[in-house]
Amino acid sequence: MSTVLEQIEQEIAKLSNKGVKKNTGNIRTVADGVAKIDGLSDVMYNEMVQFPGGAIGIALNLEEDEVGCVILGDIANLKEGDEVTTTGRLLSVPVGKGLLGRVVDALGNPVDGKGPVEAKEFYPVERIAPGVVVRKSVSQALFTGIMAIDSMIPIGRGQRELIIGDRGTGKTTITIDTIINQARINKVGIASGDPKFRPVYSIYVAVGQKNSNIARTVSALEAAGALEFTTIVAAPAADNPANLYIAPYSGAAIGEWFMENDMDALIVYDDLSKHAVAYRQISLILKRPSGREAYPGDVFYLHSRLLERAARLDGKGSLTALPIIETLAGDVSAYISTNVISITDGQIFLETDLFNQGIRPAISVGLSVSRVGSAAQIKATKQVGGKLKGELAQFRELAAFAQFGSDLDAKTKAQLDRGNRIVELFKQPAFSPLPIELQVAVLFAMQKGFFEPVDIKKVVDAAAALKHFFTTRKDALLAEIRTKAALDKDLEAKLQAACEEWKSSFTP
Amino acid sequence: MATHAKIAEHLARQLFKVSIADGAVSAERVAGVLEYVEKHQPPNPVMVLKAYSRLVAAEIAKGEAVVEHAGAVGDAMLSAIAAAMTRQYGRRVTATARPDADLIAGLRVRVGDDVYESSIAGQLAALASAV
Repeated sequence: MSTVLEQIEQEIAKLSNKGVKKNTGNIRTVADGVAKIDGLSDVMYNEMVQFPGGAIGIALNLEEDEVGCVILGDIANLKEGDEVTTTGRLLSVPVGKGLLGRVVDALGNPVDGKGPVEAKEFYPVERIAPGVVVRKSVSQALFTGIMAIDSMIPIGRGQRELIIGDRGTGKTTITIDTIINQARINKVGIASGDPKFRPVYSIYVAVGQKNSNIARTVSALEAAGALEFTTIVAAPAADNPANLYIAPYSGAAIGEWFMENDMDALIVYDDLSKHAVAYRQISLILKRPSGREAYPGDVFYLHSRLLERAARLDGKGSLTALPIIETLAGDVSAYISTNVISITDGQIFLETDLFNQGIRPAISVGLSVSRVGSAAQIKATKQVGGKLKGELAQFRELAAFAQFGSDLDAKTKAQLDRGNRIVELFKQPAFSPLPIELQVAVLFAMQKGFFEPVDIKKVVDAAAALKHFFTTRKDALLAEIRTKAALDKDLEAKLQAACEEWKSSFTP
Repeated sequence: MATHAKIAEHLARQLFKVSIADGAVSAERVAGVLEYVEKHQPPNPVMVLKAYSRLVAAEIAKGEAVVEHAGAVGDAMLSAIAAAMTRQYGRRVTATARPDADLIAGLRVRVGDDVYESSIAGQLAALASAV
């Protein structure tokens, strides 16, 4: 027996003394987060390479006698001639539930001061999107908690819905509301003990944002109790462009873990305009040929391969993506905007004019669409809000024409009046998403004309009073709507009675 | 500027190709190339020669195993390393010893871009990066 043990020990000793083969190169130039390296003859495309001082890079350009690498990390101490070694590994990030409640950088390193991330698994940052065979059509709702979206532009689990608009129109607020709503639904669902309940975990990827904005988002999520279901991937504006380029892919890898492990996740890319700009910077320094607006030829692929990773998998979970694009002066026909519009399954367009008129969320109903959403809407919402989008679009058209003349017939006046009430009803303050059952109740009241006697300017107050009435006094009815998810005759009668009760007690 | 660099790189590569004889850099041919460049100066001769020098240096490095060592290394070991590397790369590789006390103990062999690390300093560095 001792001979056998000796043999094993000899093998261990042999292995521990065995030489390690590395492939090396030397830095020729370093500029703006990109290094050109002589050597590295064995390097693979997208392989991680090790720079002195702990910085790592990704080999993006494999040329005849040099390699172009983007550097992730501190480049201040790198100089010409420094030795770079290959690692034989593709860039990976930690994944799993250990990342929930954490703020990490583009490489998955914690930046929130809460200690190391507890993760047992690592997923590669770049991955091929699921193919057609493993995908399932989107048919399950993902409630944003924003009445205008859930009733008119519904989003389903596994969908990619673009949020597009000028700066300061509330794009980020919509996504934060959605994340907060998922956390609220998760808490209710987990507390109910329903074994069929599927929580939605959120990933918020901040690309090129100010650190102060990221801190504000973190505190908003923390204050709403949503951070425990959320991971934040932060690549602020001060980071080098390589981190900004990698961050959305890292976020996607974190989201894919949930999807692959029979869970549902939501990912927000805030925003892909800055992501494209960072990629353009890298490409120009790498001397790749530039095309329209100086973006490289593969800028479409940059976003298509990212957004295609959001899917609903057959027999597994889903990953819903909400990418954000910032437009300039409302121009949706710009290069990156049209690219992302064509990749996604619909868009929510936010208008500066509406925002300045106090209509918030400033959703332009005419330009917003959800290509798969109606299939993912619950029946109750369809019953009470099925015609709303058409009505509101007609109202906007009529309102535009009505500006030219004062003599309007009674029918047009009624349509305008109803449209104005709907617009008022859809106004919703930031960070206060509404449960779907409450949305159904409010829309039911609107459909049945309970807001008709109320002065248009007081519709917001009336709606707030109705919500308060339902949440404080009709909790059982709301729970019934939530469970049944459809309005039968009995439920309609109960809703009617509840609205009558509210009407009798409400003084406009 | 970028175009000049590209032209210089291209010319340097052409010159490098004619400097190779029997799969290795030939000293005679390199001398011939330098003489030619001196007589018929191309545009940006310094740029051309720098690129040429880099290519030649990389090629020479592929045929030379630099054995960095802490402690004594005999001729027999150098010959064994040279033979092993010749087998590994399928081309003639010579071995040169270069003492380096920073390795603490063991060897580090460089052949072109490849580094075979079998030193205490290398193992400590690997340990430090893993911790």
